[in-house]
Amino acid sequence: MADHESSKINHDNHLLLDQPLLRLPYELLRKNFRSAHFTFEKESTSVKNLLKETATGSLNGKTAPEDVVKNLDTMLAKMRGMKRKLAAYAEEESHLYRQVDARVAHLRELCDMHTVEDVKYEAWSRQRLDRLVVDYLLRHGYNDSATSLAKERQIDDLVDIDTFVAMSKIRRSLENGSVTEALAWCSENKKELRRMHSNLEFMLRCQQYIEMMRTGSQPKMVEAIAHAKKYIIQFRDTYPLEVGQMGGLLAYRPDTELEPYASWYSTDRWPKLADIFVEAHNKLLGLPSFPLLHIALSSGLSALKTPACHSSQSTIGSSQPTRSNQHSVATSSLTTSVCPICSTELNELARNVPYAHHSKSHVEHDLLLLPNGRVYGKARLEEYAAKAGLPPGQCKDLVTGQVYPFDQLKKVFIT
Amino acid sequence: MTANDMGINALQKELAELSKMARLSAAVDNVDRIIEQLSAAREQVAQALDPHTASLTLTKLQNPTKVAFEKVNDNLKEASSAQKKFGKALNEHFPLKSLPADHDAMADHPALINRAIAMHLLREGQFSVASTFIDEAQDTPPHHALYHQLESEDTPSVELDEAMDEDDMDADARTSITASTTDNNDLSSLQSQELQTKFAEMYSILQDLKARNLFSAIEWARSNSAELEARGSNLEFELSKLQYVWLFKGPAVNRLPDDEHNGRFGALTYARQHFGRFQARHLREIEKLASAMVFAPNLGESPYNLVFATDSAFTDVAASFTREFCSLLGLSAESPLYIAVTAGALALPKLMKYNMAKRAKGTEWTTANELAFETPLPESMVYHSIFVCPVAKEQTTESNPPMMIPCGHVLGRETIQKLCKGTRFKCPYCPSEGQLKDARQIIL
Repeated sequence: MADHESSKINHDNHLLLDQPLLRLPYELLRKNFRSAHFTFEKESTSVKNLLKETATGSLNGKTAPEDVVKNLDTMLAKMRGMKRKLAAYAEEESHLYRQVDARVAHLRELCDMHTVEDVKYEAWSRQRLDRLVVDYLLRHGYNDSATSLAKERQIDDLVDIDTFVAMSKIRRSLENGSVTEALAWCSENKKELRRMHSNLEFMLRCQQYIEMMRTGSQPKMVEAIAHAKKYIIQFRDTYPLEVGQMGGLLAYRPDTELEPYASWYSTDRWPKLADIFVEAHNKLLGLPSFPLLHIALSSGLSALKTPACHSSQSTIGSSQPTRSNQHSVATSSLTTSVCPICSTELNELARNVPYAHHSKSHVEHDLLLLPNGRVYGKARLEEYAAKAGLPPGQCKDLVTGQVYPFDQLKKVFIT
Repeated sequence: MTANDMGINALQKELAELSKMARLSAAVDNVDRIIEQLSAAREQVAQALDPHTASLTLTKLQNPTKVAFEKVNDNLKEASSAQKKFGKALNEHFPLKSLPADHDAMADHPALINRAIAMHLLREGQFSVASTFIDEAQDTPPHHALYHQLESEDTPSVELDEAMDEDDMDADARTSITASTTDNNDLSSLQSQELQTKFAEMYSILQDLKARNLFSAIEWARSNSAELEARGSNLEFELSKLQYVWLFKGPAVNRLPDDEHNGRFGALTYARQHFGRFQARHLREIEKLASAMVFAPNLGESPYNLVFATDSAFTDVAASFTREFCSLLGLSAESPLYIAVTAGALALPKLMKYNMAKRAKGTEWTTANELAFETPLPESMVYHSIFVCPVAKEQTTESNPPMMIPCGHVLGRETIQKLCKGTRFKCPYCPSEGQLKDARQIIL
């Protein structure tokens, strides 16, 4: 079903896929401000206190002028450090606002377009595709590809390379068996993680404990117990089962086959931790849990797919490169091009998605049936006959190339 | 103007307002002021080095630093309030709407998506990005578990392989660029080098066409003339015709050397050499082109004016060249990834509406093969004929194909079988009757 109505752009709902475009910089602005505020609070309190102490000390003669100079030097050093940090946060803030402006301007362009036939819409939609591809590449850790595509297309302000590169660094370190980077990230985002009830930090602490236990050496195991007291016991109300299992782990060696201890010792824990981290990271920043490209594709593949796209006759991918196949490639050709779902790129991917629902037939006008069972619109048959230079009164099958006299064709009525 | 139309506009306006508010950089300036105060005090104390000056300086320092710290604090407050306003504006003018989150049908096929992206980059002529991507993706193949339930980790690829095995019987080598899909790492089976060579050829020919040079395109069309003819394409003749017209216009227009190969004489020579092979099919047009010679002095006012307008002819011919070139590779002319993502954005609101209704009613998908709701797409995105049986209201498929009954009406096969009383049935749309054996399957 295709009519004029369907090519109109519905501004209310056309930007579903583009929400993270503005949500992410907003979350990053907030995060950036929190860090700036924290730095300021911490350093200013300490400077203020030192200043007060020094003043009092100097007034009642307890602090010598030399020490006053020393203290002032300390304060100056702290303030310079604060300035450096705040300047970096300010830089980040203006970078984020710049991004926001660029993104709003990009979304704003769409407001001036009213149908998808608008010439500007294609350029806009291509840019959206580039954005979605970059998002997909980044989420898979294909950072170089993402960076170079963004550079080629000049869409740096419309994609979130820094955020995802930082994420993939932490993810990779987890996959390689290191919790340090992930723990640092946890402490940066402690409050927010607690608010969303994330188990990430607990899981990381458990893993540290497991790794110490794995060594089997006496001192390490003592250290493990101390570690558990410090970092794990506090979670006993939230995760009673797991905390109990950590205790139980003391009794089992890494080569045990007994569950749940075998799973705790398993090296599969690492990729799982990486997944837990990615999930927490995306949730914290309000990012969808899977690539936006997936959402666009599963919706788009279905909307475009017809039962014909994977039928045994017309699938391009499944027939021999014979001459006759060259014809079948051209199934709907002559004037149109190959269907994107039938095209090699997407055919396999679309195999398992449902096809579009139609309640009305959508066929050419004046259909005629050829003696071989194939049906074409009269206009197309005439055009093809003319192009093929056939004598008047004859027509040629667009797919098989068979030639028939026009008077052997029958009218087909589609109700 | 719709609400959201207003929305982004309004958001842009509010952002412009917000940019006037203080940002963190203001705080940095005030921190500088504190540093100045501190270092001035330090200099005074260090120079005098006596307790009285020290305590006096410090006492005098207390108030200004306090004020300066408060200023920094105010700056931070303002920066934070600007952000809050931005957040509020965002919620108001670009309210958060839900996206599909429960089910990711694409998560099981990262290798296929990678392949689609690689081919997309190649066909777009992004050769260096494509090669970076192919290297990266081969170094770190995507893992299935990344974005979905960890438990289903080991199952998906198995069914996929089975599903593909049937096709593989005859799929082995359609053209060398079509990757065999049973391979787990689909990128390695993608003959990217060959695809790149092909698309490099396409772009070099398009470059020539842009520079008004038709030779490489004509040469390509000639070496593929059999396939083009089978497709019902006149590309070779269209290109040759344009070459004739281009020469006809002479050096003043085409800026080619003014010699016997150019101008009307050059065009005539060209026609004699090359038009012979098109005579059978395009005699009338060739006659037209030749008779235009007579009107050469004032072609603009002759009946041949239209044939000789080259302004859009080069762009048109470039577009049909791209289409034919891709078709001969078994690929669509537009990037399928582009079409699919655009269609996806257009159809997504319907999907979300359906999901919401489904959740409200607590019902599930009724059919696995077909979407449960309509997703209308613009005309330009409809590629196949669609036949919906007017009785069953279902699309016909391979197992339930469209059948034409003797009166010319078309029904789904299952419908005819249901209508049948014995071997006869009556057409639901006209008074005529038919026999089951007279109904014949048609290919739309």
